[in-house]
Amino acid sequence: MNSPALFVLIALVAYGIAYFGYGRWFDRTVWKPDPKRTTPAHMYTDGVEYFPVSKYVLWGYQFKSIAALGPVLGPYIAINYGWAPALAWIILGNFFIGWLQDYGAIMLSVRNQGRSFGPITYEFTGNAGRNTLLGFILFYLLIISATFIYFIALFWHIFPSTFAATAGILLVGVLAGQMLYRLRINVLTTTLVALGLMALVIWAAATFPALQTPAGAWPPDPAGGVQAGGIAGEWSLLVWSVVVCVILYLASVLPLPTFIQPVNYVSFFPTFLAVILILVGALVSGFTGVRLEQPAWIGFNPTGNNPMWPLMFVAIACGSISGWHSLVSSSSTSKQLDVETDALPVGAGAMLSEGLLALASLAAYMIIPKDQLTGSVGAWVAGAIKFTQPFLGAAATDFLKAYFGVVLILYALTVQTLVTRFWRLVSAEVFRGPLAILGQKHVATFVGLVIPLAFAATGSWNNLWLYFGGSNQLLAGLALMLITIHLARTKAPTIYTLLPATFMIITTISAIAWQAVRVYLPAFLGTTPTLVQYPFNQYSGFARAMDGIFVLVGAALFILGLTMAYRTYAAYAAARRAPVPTGDD
Amino acid sequence: MTPIGEVKRALGGKNEPKKGGFLSALKGVLYGMASHGNVTAALRTRMHMEHLFMFITLGDMLGIPVLPPYYSLRILPYAVPNIESWKQRVFRERDFTDAIY
Repeated sequence: MNSPALFVLIALVAYGIAYFGYGRWFDRTVWKPDPKRTTPAHMYTDGVEYFPVSKYVLWGYQFKSIAALGPVLGPYIAINYGWAPALAWIILGNFFIGWLQDYGAIMLSVRNQGRSFGPITYEFTGNAGRNTLLGFILFYLLIISATFIYFIALFWHIFPSTFAATAGILLVGVLAGQMLYRLRINVLTTTLVALGLMALVIWAAATFPALQTPAGAWPPDPAGGVQAGGIAGEWSLLVWSVVVCVILYLASVLPLPTFIQPVNYVSFFPTFLAVILILVGALVSGFTGVRLEQPAWIGFNPTGNNPMWPLMFVAIACGSISGWHSLVSSSSTSKQLDVETDALPVGAGAMLSEGLLALASLAAYMIIPKDQLTGSVGAWVAGAIKFTQPFLGAAATDFLKAYFGVVLILYALTVQTLVTRFWRLVSAEVFRGPLAILGQKHVATFVGLVIPLAFAATGSWNNLWLYFGGSNQLLAGLALMLITIHLARTKAPTIYTLLPATFMIITTISAIAWQAVRVYLPAFLGTTPTLVQYPFNQYSGFARAMDGIFVLVGAALFILGLTMAYRTYAAYAAARRAPVPTGDD
Repeated sequence: MTPIGEVKRALGGKNEPKKGGFLSALKGVLYGMASHGNVTAALRTRMHMEHLFMFITLGDMLGIPVLPPYYSLRILPYAVPNIESWKQRVFRERDFTDAIY
């Protein structure tokens, strides 16, 4: 009972019931997939975007596309309420909401000619609805970027060996790209060379002090004797954030095969191996003697200004449900689905696997003593080492620290390169006429990095994270509403998606409002200390202005989210009133 | 084999013979995780390049006011098999949410 293994097993059983029990029943009752119905992959086959792919390939693709930093770091905030509520939300959120959204997004797109969410939103809610969604996604991208830039900079600052390891892996990725595309060396040889070089790079970064940056602590507290250290003292985080932005800039403007593609390819192997290692470590923890160190329950509002509802439900950003998944599901996966019956293993299977990743991450925090966890978001690395050391050997501690540290960074960096590029593409689409300059490749990338850089360097991380989680989960709620509208139009049962959608929309809008009104607004008004972090908080006027900007960001997210929610509910009501369709849906 | 056929064969599509078994499934999963996104991105890059080429040489077919060069006639027999799928791709409704992956 004192080992995380039992809880991981319980969750595995719950996910099994979700998939084989509730999932199949829901499938038969609501979507009724027909293996004989022609999917868009066959109907519009073009060998580029639309072509049928086996469910195994699509499952792997879907899982890789949705697994990022969300399920890894979200449980760190959630465990502030005790591990029991966090565990319950990861299991129940997945069971009743998460997989329904991923699977439903695929089916929604498949039943609508493989179209993505933009055109579907246009059809269901009109042009204003589509524009609102676009505005919301733009804010969402800025918040994601700020959050991930902050974390990469933070991890470089607190883990001395990770910058050299990250830089080395990026170079290995670029080299792999040259081997594949320029030298025409086959994939297997390239992969083996890349794997060998990556192991060498991590080992060298962990072993040679010359490759390590000065160790730092964050947040610094000079009055309490905690110095920032690092490469530039109190400005370290800003310097590292700028370095991250330079890398992201290159990733955005260089051709895909030169940077993003090969780097993401080689990064897959260490990140995936880490998930396997931690899961194995959690499952065998009953034998290795790793014990729970965190309390099961701490309180509903332990700090006085962070109530469990709604904040915990947005903190575990992707481990229970995520709006990002619906964008992935409808933009590419649905166009390559071979038969409709593959949607369940692909959509639901990948989401439940993501839940497993969140669970393993939660377990990694559960085994760290509370005094070591407080204020140390990098504790995931310590937990991962504690899980794996018993079977990988105590001598490998330095290597494992560099390895798990760089895995955290790669999780953020690989997604963020895509997000920055996506921002650039969206900017080219959005900004026309007199604002066309904002859609230009370099200008769009610059703008898409400078704003998040300002947020990352000055914002306190858990508040940024809650904005990110709030907008991400709200997008999920809206996706569930689009699914519900489709089901209403086809006169299928809607209650199973309407209730989760309503819960998510109310929860996330409340969380965003709470953050803006109860957290940032008092800081802006001066009734509570500023939330801008050291050293920027020493400049009171600047700090006050940034707090005000964070209030405005929250207000924008709130208004856009509320407007979008209203439009989707109105469309749902209209769909319910509409006559029964006579043709095939 | 056409590019479409190659893709189908490589990815185990419905219309091609499937190899069953656990190893085949595992290979598919690993391929999907590690490479499928890169393969589709490469295909899309090629698609955009081909669109440019087709617009320049055969754009008049879609009503785009380009003067068909003499060489359009020379390449026409080679372009004919791809014209239908090209038109389909060009005319397809696209949106910012299509650009994610």
